[in-house]
Amino acid sequence: MNKTTSTPQSSAAAGASRLVAVIDIGASGMRLRIAEILADGAVRTLESLQQAVHLGKDTFTTRRIQTSTVEECVKILKSFRRIMEEYGVTRPDQIRAVATSAVREAENRASVLDRLYMSTQINVETIEGAEENRLTYIAIHDALKQEKRLKKGNAIIVDLGGGSTELLLLEEGLVTFAHSYRLGALRIRETLETYRAPVDRIRALLDQHIRRVVNQLHHTVPVKRVGAMVAVGGDAQFAASLLSPSWADKRVVSLDLKSFCNLADKLATVPVDDLVRQYRIPYQEAETLGPALVAYKQLARVFGVKSILVPKASLRDGLIAEIAAGSAWTEEFSAQAIHSAITLGEKYAFDRRHAEHVAGLSVQLFRALQADHGLDRRYELLLRIAALLHEIGNFVSDRSHHKHSMYLILNSDLFGLGRKDITLIALVARYHRRAAPQPYHEEYQALDRDGRVAVAKLAAILRVADALERNHLPGQRAVSFEREKDQFVVIIQDGQDLTFERLALKEKGNLFAEVYGMPVTVRAGRAARSESIHG
Amino acid sequence: MAKPSKEPLFFNRELSWLEFNRRVLEEAMDPTVPLLERFKFLSISSSNLDEFFMIRVGGLQQLFDAGKTRFDPAGLSTARQLTVIRRRTHQMVADQYDCLLKELEVLLAEAGIRRVGVEHLDEQQGEYVERFFEEEIYPVLAPIAIESGATFPLLRGLGLNLAVRLRPAAAAPHKQRYAVVAVPRQLSRLVPVPVVEGFRYALVEDIIGTFIEKLFPGEPVAECIPFRVTRNADMTVREDQAGDLLAQMREVLLERRHSACVRLEISDRASTTMLKFLKGALKVREESVYRLPGPVDLSALAALPKLVGHDELKNVAWPPQSSPLVAPNESMFDVIARRDVLLIHPYESFQPVVRLVEQAADDPDVLAIKQILYRTSENSPIVAALARAAAKGKHVTAVIELKARFDEARNIEWARALELAGVQVIYGLKWLKTHAKVCIIVRREPGGLRRYCHFGTGNYNEITATLYSDVGLMTCNEDFGVDATAFFNSITGYSQPVTHRKLEAAPLGLRAKLLDLIDSEIQRSKQGQKALILAKVNALVDPQIIQALYKASQAGVKIQLNIRGICCLRPGVRGLSDNITVVSIVDRYLEHARVLYFHHGGESLVFISSADWMPRNLDRRVELLVPVEDPDHQRRLIAMLNLGFEDTVKARALTSDGSYVRVRSASPEKAVRLQEVMYRTAREAAQQAQTDRYTVFEPQRPSSSARS
Repeated sequence: MNKTTSTPQSSAAAGASRLVAVIDIGASGMRLRIAEILADGAVRTLESLQQAVHLGKDTFTTRRIQTSTVEECVKILKSFRRIMEEYGVTRPDQIRAVATSAVREAENRASVLDRLYMSTQINVETIEGAEENRLTYIAIHDALKQEKRLKKGNAIIVDLGGGSTELLLLEEGLVTFAHSYRLGALRIRETLETYRAPVDRIRALLDQHIRRVVNQLHHTVPVKRVGAMVAVGGDAQFAASLLSPSWADKRVVSLDLKSFCNLADKLATVPVDDLVRQYRIPYQEAETLGPALVAYKQLARVFGVKSILVPKASLRDGLIAEIAAGSAWTEEFSAQAIHSAITLGEKYAFDRRHAEHVAGLSVQLFRALQADHGLDRRYELLLRIAALLHEIGNFVSDRSHHKHSMYLILNSDLFGLGRKDITLIALVARYHRRAAPQPYHEEYQALDRDGRVAVAKLAAILRVADALERNHLPGQRAVSFEREKDQFVVIIQDGQDLTFERLALKEKGNLFAEVYGMPVTVRAGRAARSESIHG
Repeated sequence: MAKPSKEPLFFNRELSWLEFNRRVLEEAMDPTVPLLERFKFLSISSSNLDEFFMIRVGGLQQLFDAGKTRFDPAGLSTARQLTVIRRRTHQMVADQYDCLLKELEVLLAEAGIRRVGVEHLDEQQGEYVERFFEEEIYPVLAPIAIESGATFPLLRGLGLNLAVRLRPAAAAPHKQRYAVVAVPRQLSRLVPVPVVEGFRYALVEDIIGTFIEKLFPGEPVAECIPFRVTRNADMTVREDQAGDLLAQMREVLLERRHSACVRLEISDRASTTMLKFLKGALKVREESVYRLPGPVDLSALAALPKLVGHDELKNVAWPPQSSPLVAPNESMFDVIARRDVLLIHPYESFQPVVRLVEQAADDPDVLAIKQILYRTSENSPIVAALARAAAKGKHVTAVIELKARFDEARNIEWARALELAGVQVIYGLKWLKTHAKVCIIVRREPGGLRRYCHFGTGNYNEITATLYSDVGLMTCNEDFGVDATAFFNSITGYSQPVTHRKLEAAPLGLRAKLLDLIDSEIQRSKQGQKALILAKVNALVDPQIIQALYKASQAGVKIQLNIRGICCLRPGVRGLSDNITVVSIVDRYLEHARVLYFHHGGESLVFISSADWMPRNLDRRVELLVPVEDPDHQRRLIAMLNLGFEDTVKARALTSDGSYVRVRSASPEKAVRLQEVMYRTAREAAQQAQTDRYTVFEPQRPSSSARS
């Protein structure tokens, strides 16, 4: 996966392979994957472990994770740690442990995570639906690269987990909509159990219940009918292993809709114990199988899907791909996130050309100032998106449009980005003009110190970029940068008069001087080439 | 399934086992076998029988006592089985003693090796024996007086004892008085006696008998009789060996804590008074009493061949050969990285396996070693290497199976030692005995981590590897590494089982895989393709597998089975199993490898496995089925399988009535003996490899096991 990504960080380590471990704490179990990322970026799985633990059962019925369940997690995490130690995987930068809906929704999640950290030194982070979306997309991207069906026409990607469902809408290969729903196979199972219905009614109840949820979901998706559905997750893979003889040798298989539906109907009526016996699968997998397949079936029906694609990929593949990409997000994801920002911008009738110019300049500045701000590559994407969206507030009113931009962004979904990242983007957009960040600004003050500092650093850059694009010129300006004595000089090569920019910079460059400790000025390029720091 | 006759579809497993032991005994009777080897076979047939009584007869007897009537797949009731077993075992014991007393001892005497009674010793020898008694034996004896039958001591099962009847005291002339002297295990049964020429030995119980009155000063001894009791095996052993009987026995077992006596063996010199007393005290029925015309416990005679020298009376040695794939002095990692290594023991040496683990222990790039240890030798170099690896900071995990019968105490001892050295020791899984043999070594290499695996059909025991025929496969193929690791994580409880790429494991998918493979031959046969199954396992008992094989036979699949021990399948029955032939080979090495071949439309699927085809192996043990993919290795294994059906020296064919008949060649010149051919082939290959090494001039380089 992600073979082409070459960040400065990874090329420095070229020649050696890296060992990494990812842990995923889901609704019905914990999984560990240890992988080796080879020098050429290829990923080799070394170990895959899974252990059952009923976190979802706890959270979805009592809103809390029971102490005994937490201790089970501790035990499992300790044993995972032991296996990781065998490979010498112990440094925090080699390990990523995430927890999804079952922990996310638990009232006592903070104390649970503290307990896990205290006893295992493994820092488990809860990730949001939007981040699950991102990881799902990254995970399947590689497996689905060859699928032409997904490049043309529309498709949905559905990852139906124990506690939540991530749905992505692909139009012509681009993610145009992404959302996380509280539709989960284990959740359904738990709900059904509260009905205490007789066995022969279960199937009807299941159908009924899922239909209701799926219909609600269908309403929220902007496109009502799609050509294909990509079904991600263990239950879909199990169905694929039964329905497709070539499953073992392929990265992705296409399942016939009719046989898939027949299988779903058949398995939905088989008692869990019999599934365990008959198919030799762990109990907690058997438990989600029926509800999950019925849900996929109904999703396929309501979206008028012709075929179901099942890739051999999971959240853990996405996690590993992200680690492999180093501190940056993968290029595939970045492209999709940018696309989703542009879609949002279009929704608010932004000036796309200007936005893209400002974004382009911001990124150039970000790279030129790498040594000064010390932020990793993820922030580059956040800045780019903030730059793309900085003026969408104009849609509401051009008075205080920066504030409108902020709340529009805060209340939007951007593909694959969590709440924290979206807040950063919103604040950077907000501070592109007028008041500098102030302690009494509510959203700003709610950030941690790292977040506050990052907002200031990025907003300072955005202001400079915006100032340089004051003319709203038709093309992006060719610029280079230079440090002279104590100032940062932007050299513009296009020979235009720069008075306007100079004035703008005077007004908007203060924050830059404050944050980076040097004033910024602009100068026309000379015949004699000055040495550029970065391109 | 068509039932062509009223004959049962299966042979009874106990009777089939007795047939096997009969074949072992026949080796003892075979004049073409060297004399001291015959002696060994005799003692093996005796220790086999001990185990059979302890486990199988004990289980059946308890079922019967509890009044449970159970019919085995052959349609025999428990009572009927016990009757037939008794009849056959009495006959077998009579044959054993005939063989010993009328043949082997006579022939041994001709060779100058004699067992002598103490009364036949000359003066000098007599003095020696008396001194031996005083110094070596007397101090460790502890006679127990018996007041009444009710206070009879709990005697160790299978231990040798002397029953002593004292003359009645003058005061109570009608009251018999008894005592029991247990012969301590640490005393050797055979006591060599000084002699000018040849070899003389006395039995320790005869020596004790001669001086018995020293233990009862002032009390005249009326008789002193050697005897032995056999008890029901304890629960853990029976769980594995007689689980099929166990399900119905559980409630019974709770009531009976003391395991009952299932057999009394006693010298036929015993008086009726003595016999009556012992039978009463031990609660033994008449049919469970075996009166022996010679020494009690023939398995003890196994020590004799080691004592006497006389190489001309033993097998010509067939020393294990070095595998042509493994160059001496080369790093095992380089060897395996070049190509998968298949070893067929004991024709080929087990040394490469030991070398692999030892080099892993000392290699700075090895991160982890994971190994299953089932039964291993004393002072095992592999165990030592694991401890050393752990001491050097490698992550070493050993799964140790404590349920390995009879070896438990020893296993616990070195398991502790390993733990002290820093090895993570895991004691098998609850309810399941870990029988698979696998070793995984994780090594850091320039191209990334690499896993080296060894899979075997036999234990990690370099001693038995010279006595049992087994197969081992070493590979660093990625798929095998992934599977072996996942398998290991599941048996250590670190993970739930996951689907494997290449391997199949019992109790999860192995049975289904076998049935699939058989079924696939059936489908091919029905489509008119050639269909063939060759299999070599130690036992075939599982009714489901047998039924599948019957079905295959009826579909025209040709099936050749080489089954050393129990076989419940009836071969050659019209309309049922016409296309199935079964042979059994009992020769100098214990046939132990499990190797399977499926024609698969010419694709040749070859597997090695740790599992026999018994319900216990497929359902209650952790076992592995490992594909062998290298075409050359496949050819070697197929050749070995075929040799089993060409053997005309040590092979016997199973007939449809359950008896075994020797397979004979038309003329002695054409005789084929599997084990001999295997040895010769291995030796020729080793010599060829040696020659090749001398004729290829290769510059010497520093050992390639050093870090690159």
